[in-house]
Amino acid sequence: MSEALGIIWRRVLTGALTVVGAITLLFLLIRFVPGDLASILYGPRVTDALRASLAERMGTDQPLPVQLVLFLSHAVRGDFGINVISGRPILDEILGVLPNTLALAFSALGLSLLIGFPLGALAAVRPGSLADRILGVLSVVLITTPSFVVAILLLLVFSLALDWLPVAGAGTPGDPVDQLAHLILPTTALAVGWIGYLARLVRASLLEVLAEAHVRTLRAYGVPEWRVILIYALRPALIPVVAILGMALGDLIGGALFAELIFGRPGLGTLAYNAVVSRNFAVVQATTTVIVLVYVTANIAVDILSGLIDPRFRRTEGEAAR
Amino acid sequence: MTSDFSRRHFLLTSAAAGLVPFALGLPAARAAAGGTVTLRLGDDLSNLDPAYRVGTVEGNILRAVCQQLARFKPGSLDWEPDAAKTITQNSDTEIEFELNPGQMFHGGYGEMTAEDVKFSFERFTKPDKTGAMVPYADDFAALDHVEVTGTYTGKLILKNPAPAIWTIGICDASGTILSKKAFEALGDKVATQAIGTGPYLFKEWKAREHVILAANPDYKGADTAPFAELTLKPIVENRTALLALMAGEVALTETDVTAEDELAKAKANGIETLKIDGIDYTWIAINVQKGPLADLKVRQAIRLGIDVQSILEGAYGGKVGRANALLAPALLGYWADAPVYNRDPAAAKALLAEAGQTGISLTFTCLNDAISQATAQIVQANLAEIGITLTINAIDPGAYWAMGSGDASKDLDLTLIPYTSKFDPGFQTQWFVSAQVGVWNWQRWKNAEFDTLHKEAGSTLDKAVRQEKYVRMQQLLDESASCVWITHGAHLFGYAKTLKPVMLPDGTDWQLRDFAPA
Repeated sequence: MSEALGIIWRRVLTGALTVVGAITLLFLLIRFVPGDLASILYGPRVTDALRASLAERMGTDQPLPVQLVLFLSHAVRGDFGINVISGRPILDEILGVLPNTLALAFSALGLSLLIGFPLGALAAVRPGSLADRILGVLSVVLITTPSFVVAILLLLVFSLALDWLPVAGAGTPGDPVDQLAHLILPTTALAVGWIGYLARLVRASLLEVLAEAHVRTLRAYGVPEWRVILIYALRPALIPVVAILGMALGDLIGGALFAELIFGRPGLGTLAYNAVVSRNFAVVQATTTVIVLVYVTANIAVDILSGLIDPRFRRTEGEAAR
Repeated sequence: MTSDFSRRHFLLTSAAAGLVPFALGLPAARAAAGGTVTLRLGDDLSNLDPAYRVGTVEGNILRAVCQQLARFKPGSLDWEPDAAKTITQNSDTEIEFELNPGQMFHGGYGEMTAEDVKFSFERFTKPDKTGAMVPYADDFAALDHVEVTGTYTGKLILKNPAPAIWTIGICDASGTILSKKAFEALGDKVATQAIGTGPYLFKEWKAREHVILAANPDYKGADTAPFAELTLKPIVENRTALLALMAGEVALTETDVTAEDELAKAKANGIETLKIDGIDYTWIAINVQKGPLADLKVRQAIRLGIDVQSILEGAYGGKVGRANALLAPALLGYWADAPVYNRDPAAAKALLAEAGQTGISLTFTCLNDAISQATAQIVQANLAEIGITLTINAIDPGAYWAMGSGDASKDLDLTLIPYTSKFDPGFQTQWFVSAQVGVWNWQRWKNAEFDTLHKEAGSTLDKAVRQEKYVRMQQLLDESASCVWITHGAHLFGYAKTLKPVMLPDGTDWQLRDFAPA
């Protein structure tokens, strides 16, 4: 138990360092991009005094190290400051859209697993069969089809031709059915690539496990095939799948931007994108911090989950600590 | 796993796919029936303070929620009293008004008085709490002060004669009358709450999801709100908005002018098209202080070397008209006889030879949107034929507009510039005066006569005199060959046939309070 806690502690510590490092890097990168908020917002109307006023309100008139320290010290208290354009607390703006993005990313991940995993398993238990070959082609098609093409096709079919699902928005707040209806198409568009990828990963992983000596031994002992697959092969086959989930979630949160744009959904991606375009540094820093936090947290969770599934992981971690 | 997605890919793919519903004769718009209507906003709100508003979206909402002393008549540049019972120009520098009594601000902030007018307008003439003038200070640059003469009466005292104060100040969003009491009570929240006396009240703003305007039951004017509620839904992508229109989720959207043919095909499905020629201006600025471009003959050669018609066809799908001068046909000062420079490579080469210039290499700076880049490529090909090598520098808006400070424009050669306009021509000519060199005059062209005319035309009330002066200013610009005019643009709207939208003649200013069921 103490060994497991030690592993978790090390993971959290590494994660915290990663977050600080990533935030610092992003903080510096955005500062080297030319342009300022006042000029973008007001174009020819901007004056030097207005430019200076906005810079002062954003704190960008301070030396870079001071800005960074101030930002980090406030961020740990959950204070991202005020959006100088809208006058609203940035945290409120983020919290207003974060559920939409998380709902989209997690539902896309769930859908990918729900469809990709059984498809991969099905292909692995019947290698070389017609189903395997069809699934092989299908998974490549899913991986290689750009998500925005899928998004448009889905809109044309399910929103326009069939009139089953809405085109744009995130649904009426407080109406879960409406919100779910608004989630279906973007989730599907976002998940398509990962369905194909997970199907191929599960197939390859399960085939590898099924070819191992302990499986041959089980079969030689006359253990029923369903039991061999479900009890003895699937669990080790899960390890690479679980390992990839953290990365998948990060990718889906990043990819949510396109879905938010095409489906007109409010979300963290569009908030961050607009902030970058307008050089609204405070909002850029805050949104990227949240994205990094979600990504790192997901990867820590995945590492812990991997440890629970795979004893070799715990052993390696333990040896590394010693 | 990250898809190589770009807006260009999206538009190209969806343009093809977008034809499918029309071919199939699919859904009909159905959003405008009844007492509520949903309209698409191209962007979300940013700041509802009239002095700090960021775009036309805020202005459109402010004019529906707040009243002005006078407002533009529906679809017209003529004005009529709004909050004022009477408003008259007593002299070149004095405008007198009397408010209608009993005009109550939303949210219990009391009755509108002349003190509110004074407060609302004089904010533009003084530094704000940070010491900076508000971004829209120029809209009331001519205002000296507002003299309150009674509860409902007052006078606008001007520093100098200023015809522009009517179109840019009083009748535009800067002229919306705020509640002094509400402003002081709300503090910074005025950015997110509009308190007015207009036919609609600002009911709800859920960031990036919707804005809801509801009919104001206390509105005293004759033009009561035609809808019980207006829902404004931000959808950034034009193509998505078009699909939402087809699916009946929104009753009106602006879209790319290149979608005109698509919209026409949707007429059978209950969708109407409205196209309004723009008053904005996009041009190629030639830096008259930079190397070979300082030679007038080189600039004239460039002007003759560029095929503007090809740009309109290639970059705008042939859906916008050509500009031949700074001011659009809808504006005072329009120069109807402006010369049209058709491409003449032989004459351009001859001019370069006369100038003794060969092997010129220049940079073409533009924004990184699809239209700008397509324009840049056409210009690059055009100028290559006359022996000028062009390097395209397409940059994002942040870096692009930053060139308006620190004299950054001194390094530019050719620059494609898109500017928005106001209804007074002086708003457009102000960027071309000598004092703007190093700021927004990226041609870096200076002309004393132009400067004088700009000043005189801006303080003359006689329309005929102003017309003459603005035409002369455009002639001077033309003689300088520092600008290659491309287009004044156009605005294309698709809307449900059950809706009657009303826009001002620029296409960007929506008169939401006049939208009605058809």
